[in-house]
Amino acid sequence: MSAATTTGSVSPLAQFWRDFRRNKVAVVALTVVVLIVFVAVFAPFIVPQDPYDLKSLVLRDARRPPGYVGRDGMLHLLGTDSQGRDLLSAIVYGLRISLQMGLMAGAIAFTIGAVVGCTAAYVRGRIEALIMRIVDIQLSFPAILLAFVVAALLGQGKQQLILALVFAQYAYFVRTAHGAAAAERQKDYVQAALSVPMGGWFVITRHILPNALPPLIVVATVQVASAISLEATLSFLGVGLPATEPSLGMLISNGFQYLMSGRYWIAIYPGVALIILIMAINLVGDQIRDQLNPRLRK
Amino acid sequence: MTDLLEVRDLRTWFHTDRGIVKSVEGISFSLRRGEIMGLVGESGSGKSITGFSLIGLIDRPGRIEAGSSIRFGGRELVGLDERELRGIRGKDISMVFQDPMMTLNPVLKIIDQIGMAIRAHEQVSDAEIRRRAVEALDRVRIVEPERKVDQYPHEFSGGMRQRVAIAIALLHRPRLVIADEPTTALDVSVQAEILKVVKSLVAEMGTSLIWISHDLATVSSIADKITVMRRGEIVEAGPVRKVLDAPRHPYTQALLDALPSRSQPGELLASGATEAAGRLDPSKLSGTAVGAPADPQFIQIRHIDKLFQRPAGLLRRLGMQLGLASEPARVHAVKSASLSIARGEILGLVGESGSGKSTLGRILCGIIAPSAGTVSVGGEPVMQGERKRGTKVQMIFQDPFASLDPRRTIFQSVAEGPIVHGLCTKAEARAYVERWLRAVAFDPALANRYPHQFSGGQRQRIAIARALAMQPEVIVCDEPVASLDVSIQAQVINLLMELRRHLNLTLLFISHDLSVVHHLCDRVVVMRHGEIVETGSASEIFHAPKQPYTRMLLDAIPRLAS
Repeated sequence: MSAATTTGSVSPLAQFWRDFRRNKVAVVALTVVVLIVFVAVFAPFIVPQDPYDLKSLVLRDARRPPGYVGRDGMLHLLGTDSQGRDLLSAIVYGLRISLQMGLMAGAIAFTIGAVVGCTAAYVRGRIEALIMRIVDIQLSFPAILLAFVVAALLGQGKQQLILALVFAQYAYFVRTAHGAAAAERQKDYVQAALSVPMGGWFVITRHILPNALPPLIVVATVQVASAISLEATLSFLGVGLPATEPSLGMLISNGFQYLMSGRYWIAIYPGVALIILIMAINLVGDQIRDQLNPRLRK
Repeated sequence: MTDLLEVRDLRTWFHTDRGIVKSVEGISFSLRRGEIMGLVGESGSGKSITGFSLIGLIDRPGRIEAGSSIRFGGRELVGLDERELRGIRGKDISMVFQDPMMTLNPVLKIIDQIGMAIRAHEQVSDAEIRRRAVEALDRVRIVEPERKVDQYPHEFSGGMRQRVAIAIALLHRPRLVIADEPTTALDVSVQAEILKVVKSLVAEMGTSLIWISHDLATVSSIADKITVMRRGEIVEAGPVRKVLDAPRHPYTQALLDALPSRSQPGELLASGATEAAGRLDPSKLSGTAVGAPADPQFIQIRHIDKLFQRPAGLLRRLGMQLGLASEPARVHAVKSASLSIARGEILGLVGESGSGKSTLGRILCGIIAPSAGTVSVGGEPVMQGERKRGTKVQMIFQDPFASLDPRRTIFQSVAEGPIVHGLCTKAEARAYVERWLRAVAFDPALANRYPHQFSGGQRQRIAIARALAMQPEVIVCDEPVASLDVSIQAQVINLLMELRRHLNLTLLFISHDLSVVHHLCDRVVVMRHGEIVETGSASEIFHAPKQPYTRMLLDAIPRLAS
């Protein structure tokens, strides 16, 4: 009802939050995400042990079960890994790295996708066809395969991995941005801006892009989650991060060999942390998608 | 004889998250067998919701409140469950909707859609369905019904689809048909035919009809009595003659006064708009056109052609080489159109949908490049290759809900053009924008809001301010009042007339509504199938049309019988 939407002077953002709050699951998921981000950011001040500080590792405390009290009197809540690292600390640092990778890769892919997709939709014609066919070809390969090849070619390291993730994911953003922007391109307000006439770059950045953002934000949440799992997979397979910066994937990989010997905790707990993180991000993303999609709106 | 339909104290409210919207607030009326009632009102008056309420199609969060009563043929409809309502819908009461593009299922043949409607209430054989489907199409005067029943909706024109929708609504010989703006989306000539068909069918079958419309003229040509709604309430009801000749309620009077056909051409219209606009303030306005010398050949459009054709893709070209594929379809939207407009003139460009009038307007504005021909304003070409030159020509679009960027404030939307083109600096932008908003009687204090907070009329004034702020000499108006209520339409027409006077603007006014064109324009150009059919002064065209096509268009205008 038009009467209902025009009443009230709440800002769109406040209204968005008000609708968001109604889904309890999403609120819990958001809390989890915020908590994980908080823990990851302030990891050095929270965890009992710096897992990168090799001096603090006691090799004799390796592979101890959860609740074990180490020789220096430290309590290992989740046990220790094969090098005597406190597993809780390692997981928190692993989350920190995973989040960094996911967010960085997501942000870069988002920017590339938004600009390229909107530009393609704006210019139309051959350039559009060329860009979109390249994207189509990329999308026909599994993301994991692309990421694997790029990561293997570039070698280990944070920047290399981010590049691999961006390469594997930017096509999704381009596709989404292009679809949304092509729809906006047709609308009268874009025609109106062109009739003034406003320049192409102005129309893309001030008119088309802001209106194409909602679907991109939804894709971004999903893609950040999948970038994190992709990173974990690559690290698990050994082409991801170097051993000096253990991400969740590498922790799982390290613990994997002990799974059968009863020392389940080394692989399971990082796995659980990974699942919680990805699930929480996806649930938040689902809710945002529901709210931004007028067809699902009640 | 008792009334077929008796509505008492009907209240339909929508319980939304942001409070209750009382769409229909305690209305009562009755309808006799075979009677035709016109239900008239502006957008938001609750007229459509009334129609939906009668047929039980109100979805949550809307509901018909307790205490309401709809008695149909002696039976109370309020409180019936969905199954019982389905037994009535389509059989005893049926509905025709506004947009025939949306009401027919695009993937089903006409015969299957008719079959589904028949089998909703009866068990019949396939042969019987075919017989009845052909008969139904024949009844709404569709030629070759035997062949047409096996076609899909996309093979039908808008008017034909609406006939099919009407045929489906009449399948079970219902006692009441509710038609919700059934001709609003159609051309006038098509509308005239549909009105004729419906009128004779209803008389023949003895069906009662509720014709919901915003257009008093259409309603008066079909209805026996008129009910006028405003803000969910009935303000006036009575026989057509009485309501039109001696309206008792000031709102009805205002609706009538706002009709351009009821006043002398060129006069300001009386507007009883629900949302009052302040007085427009033309002081401090400037423009390069003010005081410019007369120039009868100010705008010159010479031999404009426009072909729309999708470029053939690689596969298609290969197929064409091998003789397997044909060239992509071509649409010849404008064919060798030439015309000139004098400075300060308002030229009306009329024609039915698909006549190429919008395309020609956009070519003049420089949004679309013509395939051939030239357009010049004041001796300078409007386009250089594919690019528009200069800002002399601006445009106002039909739908003010689509032509303003929803994510930019009013100020941003109006200011961006003048800043980029150096008509004002960023620092002066506030004052500059305020001046133009005042010129269209829009409160500048609201400039920091977003478009969704304003009504259609307010938005159209903003769109006009945006065009004016570029200090144009020419404005192309593409159906600027077509989506507005009559009273708002009157405001916008008045505004355009005043602005032209103060700023010496030249307007190309594109419209399918001939009564508006008659009121506003100095000269008129009639287009059909991309060609200019007739050109002449407004009084020539309207009083002594030369071409049969123009005469047909004029005859099709629904008029208030007087």
